Amino acid sequence: MSNKVISGNYNPEEITASFILTKRLTPKQKEEAGRQLKEARARAQSAMTDNDRLALKLMQFRIRIEDYLGNENFNPKLTFSHFLKEYVNLLEKKRKHFAEEIDIDETELSQLINRHRFPSENIIVRLEIHSNNSIPAVTWFKLVEKEREHALQNNKALRQQQRKYVTNKLPVHIG
Amino acid sequence: MKITVAGTGERKSASIRPVENEDFKVLTIKRYFFSWKHWKGKAELYKLCLDDEDDILGIMALTNIPGDKRIEIKLLASSKENVGSKKIYDGIAGCLIAYACRESVKRYAGEGCVSLIPKTELKPKYMAKYGMLDAGWQLFLEGKPLIQLILNYLP
Repeated sequence: MSNKVISGNYNPEEITASFILTKRLTPKQKEEAGRQLKEARARAQSAMTDNDRLALKLMQFRIRIEDYLGNENFNPKLTFSHFLKEYVNLLEKKRKHFAEEIDIDETELSQLINRHRFPSENIIVRLEIHSNNSIPAVTWFKLVEKEREHALQNNKALRQQQRKYVTNKLPVHIG
Repeated sequence: MKITVAGTGERKSASIRPVENEDFKVLTIKRYFFSWKHWKGKAELYKLCLDDEDDILGIMALTNIPGDKRIEIKLLASSKENVGSKKIYDGIAGCLIAYACRESVKRYAGEGCVSLIPKTELKPKYMAKYGMLDAGWQLFLEGKPLIQLILNYLP
């Protein structure tokens, strides 16, 4: 079915609400279109405020976490610590200053960033407040949970160690 | 994301996923207006479905132009029963365009851009409905209007 058929059956408002219909340009028109877009984009970029740029960086950061959490695979690189480090970096703040802004010791922040400890719920909520609710506490929490879930699933030593405390194990297995 | 039942205003959860090979069996010209097989291997194809349902309500072809930090919408269509005065759901095209914007932010952050070469007569309509900016032959979303579209359709 062609664009013409659609234009014949629906009015422009109906088309706009349900389609993006595009057209082909000649090579000369393409060249002109490329130049026009480059100029218009430069104007759009120069009209952006620092807050617009920060909002877009924050949005990119949130999308990356959302997509990772939506994927069932665990990636050992994409931990809470990794994303916390990225968050501090995208704000272009020194760790000392960021630690002050969420009222924790710089050493504690370093331990969180270097995977030497997990965050408390207080820290996670402070991160939500610091991001002006852009990165919800639940999102940070799910990152920690994903890491813990993976660690638990793969902890053979713990299973070995705890086996001696269990008696009368069920005779059936449905896994 | 949510789309709206046109008659009642009820909101329904939907999601956008890449088109899979088996989808081409149902992506007929009769229901989706174009030969989507034509875009196979030439563009990134995404489909919008209600959560937990396989029926495709809308489809979109995108090309990624990394050198320009830009994603171009080549074509987008809602399914036949979602077009015109008797359509079942509202907001399918808006959600798909917003998803293209989301992809551009994911890939290019503050420099991300979504563009298209519209049919001339639709240009002012797209600008009014989706806040697109005029670049002569092309329309585009970048910066604040791009953020706004994402927040409107993918809160």
